Amino acid sequence: MTNAPHTREQPGPGRALNAYLLGSLPFDSLLALQRRLVYDISGDPSTAALLVCEHPAGVTVGREGSRSHVRPNPEELNARGWAVRWVSRGGGVLLHQPGQVACYPVLSLDALGLTAGAYLEHLQGIAVDLLREYGVAGEPDPQHPGIMVRGRRLVHVGAAVRQGVSCFGLVVNADPDLEPFRDVRCDGDPLPMTSLARESGHRVRVPGVRQRLVELVADRFGFDRVSVFHSLPRAPYQPTRHAAAHRP
Amino acid sequence: MRAALALPALGSPRATFSLWYVKPGDRVVEGDRVAEVLIPGATFDVHSPASGTLAEQLAFPNDALTPGQTLGWIQQEEAMERG
Repeated sequence: MTNAPHTREQPGPGRALNAYLLGSLPFDSLLALQRRLVYDISGDPSTAALLVCEHPAGVTVGREGSRSHVRPNPEELNARGWAVRWVSRGGGVLLHQPGQVACYPVLSLDALGLTAGAYLEHLQGIAVDLLREYGVAGEPDPQHPGIMVRGRRLVHVGAAVRQGVSCFGLVVNADPDLEPFRDVRCDGDPLPMTSLARESGHRVRVPGVRQRLVELVADRFGFDRVSVFHSLPRAPYQPTRHAAAHRP
Repeated sequence: MRAALALPALGSPRATFSLWYVKPGDRVVEGDRVAEVLIPGATFDVHSPASGTLAEQLAFPNDALTPGQTLGWIQQEEAMERG
């Protein structure tokens, strides 16, 4: 990353990042989980979370996207099983597919002393660092944040800041099927997206990309401990009727 | 008394107004999200600086914004009670 800011506030000592490696996660589950984490972290900015997952095939349209970027008509979309969702994140249209790695940091930007713009630069810096490890030179796109490689988008960036807490984030094409990208103009690009597997001479495995993203996020934002979970955070305890006071 | 709903520093050279979550006359509580602005790559929720009602909207969807710009006015609760 050439333009990435390197000054950042170090969070307090012992601050930990809770990383959730969730495998395939339906988009509805992601939205509910993200909403809950944003609420929790806005109430306690010393905590932080990172969601790493992939989504079943479908299309999301961010605030900078347009339905005209999705070529298939509604019948074709139905036949392919691609739901189209309008989401309140930045960035344009994105086709979600198996073989991508979605990386959604849920961080208090106030606690890190970052503006939304600086946070996006950090996200792009993380993606450039990741690509470099695979021998790929990525260039941040200043017009539509994301990482381009030889004129094609490899990493999509689309974030949201709610109550001072970030959500959504990066989607990296590790090794998805690239053919369907011909039908969706991701972020309005005329050329279809590319992937790390296509551009890199190294072997690309999704779990490896996932693991490196966790490490790069923790390092970039100055977390000295990472707790890794492989399941959704437990719902807060709710007493049931059976837990009511027992009268013998 | 009216409180200005000002655009905070976003660290981006470009920002546009995205949408209002409330309409004039709606009651808001300090900290409620009342509007959304867009910078390239991210949406940002703007929160009410005071409790009261949204008195006036000064920004509209797709307006280009500058840091510190007043997006609207909140009629504060104390003034409403006195009035």
